Amino acid sequence: MNEKISRMHFFFVVKHHRSKDLSRAQISNFPHPHLSLFVFFSVPQPSLCGATMRKAEGGILLRLLLLFMLHATGTSYSPPGKPTLTRCRSPEKETFTCWWEPGSDGGLPTKYALYYRKENSDKVFECPDYRTAGENSCFFNKNDTSVWVNYNITVVATNALGRTFSDPVDIDVVYIVKPNPPENLALTVLWDQTWPYLHVSWESPQKADTRSGWITLIYELRIKLEDEDEWEEHPAGQQKTFNIFSLCSGGKYLVQVRCKPDHGFWSEWSSSQYVKVPEYFNREKSMWVLAVIFSAFALFIITWLIHMNCHNLKQCILPSVPGPKIKGFDEQLLKDGKSMDAFSSLVGANFPPTTTNYEDLLVEYLEVFVPEERELMLEETKELHNDSLKFENSTSDCDSGRGSCDSHTLLIDKSEEEKGQQPDQQSSEIKMDGKGQDEEDKYLTCSPENVDSHQLSSEKVKTWPSSFSPLPEYSPIPLQQPNSHETSKQPCLSDSLFAAGPLPSHFPHLGHNTKDEIGSSYWQFGISNKQLHLLHQQMEAHQQLQAHKNASVSNIGHLQLPSVRFTEYVEVQRVSDQNMVILHPVPSHPETSYPDWHQTEEYSKVKCVDNDNGLLLLQREGVEEGMDMCSYEELPESDPSKTTNTTFTSPCSQPAPSVQDERVVGGYVETSVFTLPTY
Amino acid sequence: MMAHIRPVSAVWVGIICLVFSSRLSTMKAASICPNDQTGCHLLPLANLFDRVIQHSARMHGISDDLHSEFELYFLPSKNQIGRVSRNCHTSTILTPNGKENAQRIAREELAEIILKLLVAWRDPLWHFHQSMSQHDEFTNFSSNKSLEMSDMVHELRKGVLKVVEKMQMLGIISNSVGDTGSPEALLTSDSAEWRFMKDYDLLYCFRRDSNKIQNYLKILKCRIVPKHGC
Repeated sequence: MNEKISRMHFFFVVKHHRSKDLSRAQISNFPHPHLSLFVFFSVPQPSLCGATMRKAEGGILLRLLLLFMLHATGTSYSPPGKPTLTRCRSPEKETFTCWWEPGSDGGLPTKYALYYRKENSDKVFECPDYRTAGENSCFFNKNDTSVWVNYNITVVATNALGRTFSDPVDIDVVYIVKPNPPENLALTVLWDQTWPYLHVSWESPQKADTRSGWITLIYELRIKLEDEDEWEEHPAGQQKTFNIFSLCSGGKYLVQVRCKPDHGFWSEWSSSQYVKVPEYFNREKSMWVLAVIFSAFALFIITWLIHMNCHNLKQCILPSVPGPKIKGFDEQLLKDGKSMDAFSSLVGANFPPTTTNYEDLLVEYLEVFVPEERELMLEETKELHNDSLKFENSTSDCDSGRGSCDSHTLLIDKSEEEKGQQPDQQSSEIKMDGKGQDEEDKYLTCSPENVDSHQLSSEKVKTWPSSFSPLPEYSPIPLQQPNSHETSKQPCLSDSLFAAGPLPSHFPHLGHNTKDEIGSSYWQFGISNKQLHLLHQQMEAHQQLQAHKNASVSNIGHLQLPSVRFTEYVEVQRVSDQNMVILHPVPSHPETSYPDWHQTEEYSKVKCVDNDNGLLLLQREGVEEGMDMCSYEELPESDPSKTTNTTFTSPCSQPAPSVQDERVVGGYVETSVFTLPTY
Repeated sequence: MMAHIRPVSAVWVGIICLVFSSRLSTMKAASICPNDQTGCHLLPLANLFDRVIQHSARMHGISDDLHSEFELYFLPSKNQIGRVSRNCHTSTILTPNGKENAQRIAREELAEIILKLLVAWRDPLWHFHQSMSQHDEFTNFSSNKSLEMSDMVHELRKGVLKVVEKMQMLGIISNSVGDTGSPEALLTSDSAEWRFMKDYDLLYCFRRDSNKIQNYLKILKCRIVPKHGC
């Protein structure tokens, strides 16, 4: 071998006709002479069978000569680079073509071959047609194409120095279908009344056989104006026509269409077709324009109207918040800093009372000495003409430390101290002189009940708060005279202190109206539909007066009042509109131990309050001790039959509980602050 | 006012019903038998075909999805030897591999092939679904799809049988097409084969076979009722 090589060096004529590939091969230099020899020998010979030794020798010689030439020329050569199969496509699922990309050719003429193998078969076939589909392609005709069969395709690049295999590719014809674009695209402008629309039609590509159902194609078209850049795409399914509406008047459109099989690739877009839309009046657009103009106009008018009536609207939408207004109050004065002046206007005629004629404010007390009487009734005689007094309305609870009640307790304490006398509490001769205003619909009468009979003393003064009449020098338990305009509350006296005091001494103190009214005392009490309210004395002055008069009460205590047992009855004179029963005391006993004792307080005990807010009056039989006269429950019960003619005929639903001491005291109206029966 | 509404509304409903029924009847008359009298009776068959083809398309779609999903999880080995040896168990069924072949064979044979394919895949798909549901790595999505696939094979077979019945009734094809004859023979011969197939290969094979079924049905339809949407 070495000898032959050395001999080759001397041959310069290279002539070979056996291997075609070397005729165009390019030779590259090899650094190592031995390697080059190796390469030479590795080049496959198409056939070695039957080659004579001479031919083989010739081949080798040739190669060696080539190598020498390579060394002489100085270029580099290599086996071909690896080719790659780029894609295989079938236009109609009956044939297919594969294209490959050649790698580097290594400087030598390289030949490519495509080999394929069908599924489950080891037989290798070479590509039947390299030309039809162009360069670097392989076309499989119908006979060679089997659908639903796996093809294993490889491309081999061969050159003088070697061959390179590409990566194999498995394909199934079904999944590589890419049809040709649709054909015969036609555009027509049709009219729908006054609206033009575009009617697009096309046909399936010729090769694709959709008629036999072999291929099913779905289509898509796109349209745009000539000047635009964006296409508007419309999928069309399997149909071959399409309508496009809403065209621009006078516009020029481009339309393209493409198709795709169920499982495959989209075709290329067909060539563009042009169409020009004729000019037409776009009614819809003009309608919109008109609507916009109209709405703008209306908006303008509204804005103008609002602007014109800005002020009025402000008043309407955002009415001014009424500021606090006090009659006669000048804000400016306050702002100026003259507060006194500002407030001076507020000072009314009676407020604050400039003349501290407290005596006027007091309820007159009448001290009555009623032996065995457990309570004394005190009749107030004088009306209070204090209009400006306001009384707070409250609900039934009269135990809540109100002034009147407090004052009452004061009185009680006082009376306890001065248990000198044995008041006859049974005589309830206290004539109540109450004059109510007709307009007054609600006022309370507190029924004074003396708890302790022994407490009756001359000092005990019970205020009979039928009206608010200030009794001078009397314990100022205010009795409210019902005023015309207010709902009054009667002070609630839980315990009544009846002072059988020196009436005569008091009489002169009784107000101007006392003597006049002794004879006729009217008891007015009204029962509101609601609960009777407790008069709450708000006047501090009254409390002061009370304190003041407490002292006077004590002075009175020395008076001895015989126990008077009176049985006075109150006659219902009439029932006023406001549910007021006007009682008329009926003088039943001619005896008047106390001629001055005019003020017999007659009262009838209220038995109960029936459902219709009627009072059932009873004769008072006894008074419980320590009764809270504020509570209605403690009224003693008496036999209704003994009631006088003042008894209401209305049935009582809730009779008062019986009292321990039942003595027929006499008819009297106990005006008590009683709640609506809650027991 | 309420008292009046009810009878009035009833009257309106009645009127509307009458109108619609009349329209329907006219429509019916118009749609079933248009001008073409000869092809009039084939409309129901065409509708049946469409229904069955839709069904098969859906089946193929599901198998395609599952196959691509499998390719994500289990990339098939690049081993060429392994790929070559893949052998679908339905390869024994001779199926036309080209358009001409498909058009050349008889309708009955084509119908027969379709039914054979459907029968052959009944059990393998069921077992595939079972194995899928046992594996935790498969998502619920895949499991549902495999079940759906398995059910569809059943339904499709019933549908194709109905179509064949109809065709036989209409005298289009002969009565040689049966459903009881070949399946059992198939099952006994192929019973072992598909059990050895891997899941991926099974999916690959089924994807192809479902495509075959769909295509054959289309061909059959366009051969028998060509005027209705071919």
